[in-house]
Amino acid sequence: MNKPLEAVQEPAVEIRFGQVGLAQVRIRTTDAGVILDELTGRVASAPQFFERTAVCLDLSALEKEPSTSEMRGVFDAVRRAGMLTVGLAHGTAAVDALARSLDVPVLTQFRVQGKAAPVQAPVKEVPKAAPPVEAPVLHPPSLMQHQPVRSGQRVYARNSDLVVTATVGAGAEVIADGCVHIYGTLRGRAVAGARGEVTARVFCQEFHAELISIAGVFRVFETLPPELVGKPVQAWLDGDDLRFARIGG
Amino acid sequence: MTEIIVVTSGKGGVGKTTTSASVACGLARRGKRVAVIDFDIGLRNLDLIMGCERRVVYDFVNVIQGDCTLKQALIKDKRLETLFVLAASQTRDKDALSMEGVRKVFDELIAEGFEYIICDSPAGIEKGAHLAMYYADRAIVVVNPEVSSVRDSDRILGLLSSKTRRAEKGEEKVKEHLLLTRYSPRRVATGEMMSVTDVKEILGLDVIGVIPESPDVLSASNSGTPVILNEQSDVSRAYEDAVGRLLGETRQLRFLEEPKKGFLARMFGG
Repeated sequence: MNKPLEAVQEPAVEIRFGQVGLAQVRIRTTDAGVILDELTGRVASAPQFFERTAVCLDLSALEKEPSTSEMRGVFDAVRRAGMLTVGLAHGTAAVDALARSLDVPVLTQFRVQGKAAPVQAPVKEVPKAAPPVEAPVLHPPSLMQHQPVRSGQRVYARNSDLVVTATVGAGAEVIADGCVHIYGTLRGRAVAGARGEVTARVFCQEFHAELISIAGVFRVFETLPPELVGKPVQAWLDGDDLRFARIGG
Repeated sequence: MTEIIVVTSGKGGVGKTTTSASVACGLARRGKRVAVIDFDIGLRNLDLIMGCERRVVYDFVNVIQGDCTLKQALIKDKRLETLFVLAASQTRDKDALSMEGVRKVFDELIAEGFEYIICDSPAGIEKGAHLAMYYADRAIVVVNPEVSSVRDSDRILGLLSSKTRRAEKGEEKVKEHLLLTRYSPRRVATGEMMSVTDVKEILGLDVIGVIPESPDVLSASNSGTPVILNEQSDVSRAYEDAVGRLLGETRQLRFLEEPKKGFLARMFGG
């Protein structure tokens, strides 16, 4: 039944798609006691960070498919540790079935990271089409910075990408939980994946960086690699290694 | 309509006071009513450069604390009718300044009909420098063509865009100008010194003037005559150009090349 067009009332619901930060918990056991113990310790170490945080359970490391009742036990352990399970990470058909019987969604990563993910030459990599099943994730728009980021200034894009259309000066810091894009010269520090997102990248138009960090892996440039100086460069994480390459040749 | 201009740099010894004095004189020479204020409380220098150090009775802090009226503290320049100096206190420290006190003095100067208030900022990024820039409409960032000065200027530019009244109120941002001082074309040519282009590119700002390195600056300071008044000097002409640009005139940058030596000078190594 369609509402008349002239209805002035706003719709009761508004559906938007986007990305949100989500803790992914890979479990190696379904023993609720063990999980509760370990998670309680983690939450106690950084309560403001972990308390009531949304959790996506990744079952890929389990040796055999867990039963629905085992999973209920795990959910309960997570909740008692202070976190809230919102879904299961995308996996096999069995995971889909499990999610259905537990009445939770299956959440898909943009880039599924398996242990045996093929190593590609990331510079030439064509962005893959988004996976067909997209979980409804919220994403705040990228933080835009159109003024130069001067020495001593710090710009942080929480839960999103950071786009800088000006220069980042020496001694300045640009930080994002997602990627950092700089359409100017980068002379200062750029930190992507500040809260652990390993797929985050740093892009800049002219590379003179002091430091690049992605998900905690960083490199200080005491001397700049001559093949990268002043060039458009991107940086990404390959396992535990930080890699750099020119963009476009 | 009064315009408040801060002369700042972050780094010390780059020529803020020399610039404040010369810009103030340059504006006054065009008939503008100008007050130039020394914000470097405790390290009073502007009065020396202006040559009025023996006429300082009351200072900026005295006015703020109500020990005297603004009129009593303003020192009238002997050379230029419309130029007045407000000296810093030599015996106090920067904590003697307050935001409201500075505002009060500015309001009074505005009411007196001054067209330009030049604030000579202390070095650093502490309270004194912050107060000097807080109410500014424009900023002249003085920079030497070397890395540490450029870095400090970048820092100051960051503060200008975040810690000024205009930034806090979300008004139109402080107009920023770059002034290069102690520029030596010879040392730029040999690669010892950064060029105008380098500095401009790093800071992303337009250059309002390039002041050549010259012994005239030191002798002007020692004699208490702002260097812009020494008509024989290239420095004077360069400052005069900068003042012109500040007022919106278009002038070609000069003194970027080493002066060509004449035939005789070359022959005899002059």
